[in-house]
Amino acid sequence: MPPPRPPTSAPRPGGVTAAPSTTSDGLPTRDADDMCPVCKTIRYLNRDMEFLVNPECYHSMCTACVNRLFDDGPKQCPYAGCRRTLRRKGFRAPFFGDLSVEREVDIRRRVSQVFNQVEDDFQTLRDYNNYLQMVEDLTFDLVHGDEATRHKAESQLSAWEAEHRTEIERNRRAGREQDEQSRKRLAAEAAAARQRRLDAIREAEEEKLEKIKIKEMEIDSLERGQPLPDSQRVQLKRRGNKAVEAVANLAANSSAAAAAMATADTVGKLSIRGLKEKKREPRPEGPYDPFGGLDLTPSRYKIHGGLSHPNVDKYRSDKGHVTGGYSFDEYTSRAMFEAFAGLGVFIEDEKEVGVGLVASEVVGMGAALAAVGGDGVKMELD
Amino acid sequence: MATEDARYRDSSQYRLWSFSPTQLSALRDKTNAAARARISERLLSHPLPASTTAAATSKQDLSAPTSHANTPDPDGNSTPALPEFLTPAEELTLVGYYTSEILRASEALHYADEIKATAAMFLKRFYITNSIMTYPPAEMFFVALFFACKVDTGHVNLAEYTKIFNKSAEEILAGEFLLCQGLRFAFDVKHPYRALRGAMMELASLEDMKRDLKRLDEAEAKARRVLQFSPLMTDAYFHYTPSQIMLAALSLADRGLAERLIQETFHFVPMEGNEGDGGGGDGKGNEEKARVIGSQIRDKVLGAIEGCRDMLSRELPERKEHWLNKQVIKTQITPLRKKLLKCKDPERWNLVELQKVRREQAAKKMDSDDEDDFGGRDGKKAKKEEDGDIFGGDLGHSAKKRKVSVKKEEDPFGGAMVKKEDLFGVKVKKEEDSSFGGFGGAL
Repeated sequence: MPPPRPPTSAPRPGGVTAAPSTTSDGLPTRDADDMCPVCKTIRYLNRDMEFLVNPECYHSMCTACVNRLFDDGPKQCPYAGCRRTLRRKGFRAPFFGDLSVEREVDIRRRVSQVFNQVEDDFQTLRDYNNYLQMVEDLTFDLVHGDEATRHKAESQLSAWEAEHRTEIERNRRAGREQDEQSRKRLAAEAAAARQRRLDAIREAEEEKLEKIKIKEMEIDSLERGQPLPDSQRVQLKRRGNKAVEAVANLAANSSAAAAAMATADTVGKLSIRGLKEKKREPRPEGPYDPFGGLDLTPSRYKIHGGLSHPNVDKYRSDKGHVTGGYSFDEYTSRAMFEAFAGLGVFIEDEKEVGVGLVASEVVGMGAALAAVGGDGVKMELD
Repeated sequence: MATEDARYRDSSQYRLWSFSPTQLSALRDKTNAAARARISERLLSHPLPASTTAAATSKQDLSAPTSHANTPDPDGNSTPALPEFLTPAEELTLVGYYTSEILRASEALHYADEIKATAAMFLKRFYITNSIMTYPPAEMFFVALFFACKVDTGHVNLAEYTKIFNKSAEEILAGEFLLCQGLRFAFDVKHPYRALRGAMMELASLEDMKRDLKRLDEAEAKARRVLQFSPLMTDAYFHYTPSQIMLAALSLADRGLAERLIQETFHFVPMEGNEGDGGGGDGKGNEEKARVIGSQIRDKVLGAIEGCRDMLSRELPERKEHWLNKQVIKTQITPLRKKLLKCKDPERWNLVELQKVRREQAAKKMDSDDEDDFGGRDGKKAKKEEDGDIFGGDLGHSAKKRKVSVKKEEDPFGGAMVKKEDLFGVKVKKEEDSSFGGFGGAL
């Protein structure tokens, strides 16, 4: 057994207390719920007793007291030491049992009405965060500050409100519009969902009817002594017949669409509106070409397995060559390349006039040669 | 256009070292004329004979080369008449002689075919834009062979190499960068040897040739012998592509085989369009094919090969004896060499001295640059040490460096001759050690 715990702050049984205990804020605590601090009526005597507060000072009192005291017009708060003037109009039922929470929520609501910028109004996220911090500081001062800070914060708040009245108004309207829109959208979605549900129900109903009908037909046919054809019988056993049909339709449509590309988009496809257009899949690139498109396939000879030479063959079984992984194809292809490379290069023609060459190529080569040659001679004879 | 040809046109051999015959002879004439002008100018400006110590002469000469160039020395006209210069044809003969020497030497050393041929081509290429009168062929010969070994992955140890030829390492290395400049840094020489192997493979894969492999072997051996000598002694490498040279050599060895290979290659007949892939139907493909392997280009290739064959047949392998014939050397080569010794360039002939002088110039230039610099000597010193440290400088090294930099400091006030020599010695050694940056600075 664990040791007995210290008493928690659970509501105490409704006992009579001489005076309302108050928190450090001067607000009544929760157990004031059971007894009106003004007229000392206890819940035991009045089941329907209801407490009201005035946001001026958040001192709660029972409806009877409010009616009794403030029907004739504004009066001072009946609490001892509270000098605020309250009006009947200002009283309302608190939403939260804890009045300090009630008060804080009220303050926050008020502050957020004044400071109603949204993130889009700021250039950077940091600016927005700084703004939020400032607002929170002010709110904290208002909620938990002592008299002086609360006063100061209050004056700051009202000064800001006075200063930025138009801006605040504009933001509020924008916010309202947005709210309106989102509400409309939600409503539309709800309506669509309801419609879908109704459709589903109707479909299920129809299917049921059909099932019954087919069953009757079967019984009839049995009565007549001619069983139904197999296809129909199988259909009976299936559930969600309609859905199957729909899928079949869809498949048929899409196969038809494959044949007729033009109608593919309109027939038998789900369409979702309002989606952002996706980026098209990038075309797959071919394998990387280290030579940058340089064509190395020989044009005058073919490399084939029959190419060999007795002087090379004797190395094919030589461990010194084979173990290292030497490829004899390399030797073959290089020898073949050298045998045919430059066979169609006629140096005399090309260096002089460039016969058999593209003209521009010749000019370029000639110029390069002249430049290099001239420099070279000069360089050597310094 | 055939892809093989396009790829060959990208090679440095085609771009830089292929000429038409007229271009090549014009280039040689131009080089010869320029060398004559240079050498006569230098000989006239030199009061001393060319054979004196290079340090003294070169210093004097280099102090004001430009002023002499612009205004000929009035005294120069009275000095002994200019020697007789070599003609371009004589130069060519001498280069041919030294090329045959290279082939002989590398054969004796059992170097690979590619190395032999590369060395020979290096020498020939070098003496196209440089006159044989300017730089000594007997020295460049060793340099070319040594460098060819490096280029064709048959590296030879420098110490061993110098032992073979009884040369000093300095002599070999002095001309190396010069050679590279002369080659325009195009080190890749495309040879027809592998091409010959390829052609043999193609021929051996033909049905009717499979029965006649002996013929192929004989033809290959003979063609290889031709390729080892003839194209290197002639200008075939400058006028023809390796595959054309190879086919010309093959036709010298076995004419039928070469023609057969050409017929097989350029087989395309546009009327039938029977060969190749299924796309023979469209005209453009046919046209392209006709251009690459049609009969028109076949005739042209045959013409080129015939021309190359003529050229090669002038220097068949049998002519090796010609270049060794004592009588020939005595009557043709020796007079030319004597003539060459008279008309050599006094400044350029000694490669080792030339390199020293160039390095000194570069060092001086660096000094004067540093004087202008804000950092002055400290900055230079820091830079020097940095250069050396690329390969991790050791202690002895840095001591040397300090010595050098101290001596250089005295330089502007005119150091003693002896000291200067010392400086060279130290400096050259140092730069050989850190074989980087030295070349860049010197040249």
